[in-house]
Amino acid sequence: MNIRKKMAAGIASLLLVSLMVGCNSSNDGGGATDGGAQKNVTISYTIWDKNQQPAMEAIADAFTEQHPNIKVKVDAIPWGEYWTKMSAAAPAGMLPDVFWMHGGQFMKYAEGQFLEPITDKVQANEIDLNNYASNLVSIYTMDGQNYGIPKDFDTIGLAYNKELFDQANIPYPDDTWDYAKLAEVAKQLSQPDKGIYGFGAKLDTQAGYWNDMLANGGFILNDDMTKSGYDELASIEALKARYQMILDKASPTHQQMTDTDSVEMFKSGKLAMIFDGSWDNGNLASSEIIKGKYDWAPLPKGKVKRGNIINGIGNVMSTKGKHKDEAWQFLKFLGSKEAAEITAEMGAAIPAFNNTQDAWVKNNPDLNLQVFIDQAGDATPYPSGSKSYPVWFSKEAEIMSQAWGGAISIEEGAKKVAEMMNQAIEGAK
Amino acid sequence: MHSKSRYIWAYMMIAPTLIGTLIFWSWPAVYSIYLSFLKSENFGLVNHWVGWANYERLFMDEEFWQNLRNTILYVVLFVPTTIILSTFFAVLLNAKIKGQAVYRVIYFLPQVTMAAAAAMVWVIIFAQDYGLLNSVLGTHIAWISDKRFAMYALVMVGVWGAIGFNMLLILAGLQGIPRTLYEAAEIDGAVGFRKFRSITLPLLTPTLFFTSIVLVIGATQIFDSIYLIIGKTNVALPAVRSLVYAYYQNSFIYYDQNYGAAIVNILLVINLVLTGIQFMLQKKWVIYD
Repeated sequence: MNIRKKMAAGIASLLLVSLMVGCNSSNDGGGATDGGAQKNVTISYTIWDKNQQPAMEAIADAFTEQHPNIKVKVDAIPWGEYWTKMSAAAPAGMLPDVFWMHGGQFMKYAEGQFLEPITDKVQANEIDLNNYASNLVSIYTMDGQNYGIPKDFDTIGLAYNKELFDQANIPYPDDTWDYAKLAEVAKQLSQPDKGIYGFGAKLDTQAGYWNDMLANGGFILNDDMTKSGYDELASIEALKARYQMILDKASPTHQQMTDTDSVEMFKSGKLAMIFDGSWDNGNLASSEIIKGKYDWAPLPKGKVKRGNIINGIGNVMSTKGKHKDEAWQFLKFLGSKEAAEITAEMGAAIPAFNNTQDAWVKNNPDLNLQVFIDQAGDATPYPSGSKSYPVWFSKEAEIMSQAWGGAISIEEGAKKVAEMMNQAIEGAK
Repeated sequence: MHSKSRYIWAYMMIAPTLIGTLIFWSWPAVYSIYLSFLKSENFGLVNHWVGWANYERLFMDEEFWQNLRNTILYVVLFVPTTIILSTFFAVLLNAKIKGQAVYRVIYFLPQVTMAAAAAMVWVIIFAQDYGLLNSVLGTHIAWISDKRFAMYALVMVGVWGAIGFNMLLILAGLQGIPRTLYEAAEIDGAVGFRKFRSITLPLLTPTLFFTSIVLVIGATQIFDSIYLIIGKTNVALPAVRSLVYAYYQNSFIYYDQNYGAAIVNILLVINLVLTGIQFMLQKKWVIYD
């Protein structure tokens, strides 16, 4: 009995000691670096695209070379969990020092005062926002305050597998194509018994049917962002046309594309054509199977115009960061020409910094990346900038998956989405 | 003895668990109740008292009732299947057979497998075109995207994951049954199933009672397999969406933590009632000696 008690006491005191040691060491982390202008700090930079992580790390390294006392830790959280994590981190005061911002989420974070305004730095000429296209700057502006520095922009292109076209003896897509041609060729290229399909008529917004809806004369949100355009006849018609490709067996089914994403199917040579964003070129290029066998074309023309969604990521910093001066230095560097050039040369994304886009295009001379730059001119901005976006955007996919999976009709789905969006807009007022 | 100092020691020993439980379980539960009477803005930093409004909305919401029915259906399918199969395997493994330890390890494996990794394997097994299950059965069923089958697929995964641990509990229960009882029964001429029905089963009831309570509570909280295997763009999601999944969606995807809190509070009440009923019914079937 006595021995047992002694042992228990021993274990308990061991535990206590280790607890205390634990506390101490965590205190050290913050305290040891106090004092001195050149204190060593590590700041966090969080992004959502793993494919861009090498480029972002290269930028961070270039920055540390200039500021040896500031280290940058780059973390990639997948898009699917990114905003869940951020929404938990924001009220806890745990947002990363610097992180990627999306136009749809921006207002929620800016209004909540989680983002550090940079207006005074702009006025002090620490940074020149004229270096970026003005419509990209305006995404991250609220009530006259600037919060973000544009990182890149993206448009959508039609990626096609040259090999599958060659085998079928069909000329490659070009800027004369319209949606009817797309559907026709997709049917010709499909060999469902071999698991090869002409087009990935996927349930997707930005790189999916939003472009179809715009091209057909529909819209996603009206100009003052008060009403959904999903129940417009032109929008419904466009959605039906896309879904028809699944019924025609010109595209894999929704289930097949849920099991294996259409981008992955394209990467494994099973899909002849997909819509995809400029940001994803690095991902496509990483596939050994289609390397050198794919290229890009502009999106097809619709009844009214060539639809295309343009969007841009911004870099922002947290108001609650412990090292705001250092974070600002890094944010500024992210907006520099040097960072843009690294982004372009590593093929990560189309940089937002004026006149650095060419490097991105030239970096892949075998690919017709110019289509992304050319389409930017008359592209439609991503329908963000409303407070209700985070709500309706996630519910949209849930309702549309019922339609895409065949549980309800496309028309019913579109009308349900419109109703839900209008309610969300009303609720966010 | 110094009873006081003994108590202090006891409390010190349970303190790490107790503090953890209070901070990470009890406090969130209490806070959820509070949250469900609010309308929060700005990630929960600004709150308005709205009384029962979230609950009123809940009861008017057809989706909530569907989710409740899904959850109950899952419990009804999952719990008895798990108990029966766990008992079956526990009895088998209690016998003196060659390689007993190996079998025990095999059945226990799901317990130590990472849920996410296991889910990925199940997705491949269930796949319609090239899945293992369809090729074994010679069928072409969309196991996880056909609303007629998705629930059964989830139950299958759930049972697979739960057998190991529950088998272990039941095995422990079996080994607590004195050998002498069986010897006496054999002398009286009892064989095979008769021994199981008249000795094993009655003496196992306290263990079965415990496992059934834990299983019911666990089953009502089904979330991860829906999240990992079914997925949010699955057409069958409405047919399997549980209360906890709806809680996750509302709280973390739609930024409506108040409505989400109302959902989990309903679940809490349901669990309290179910457990209460089980405790009342135990007098009818559980035998303590």
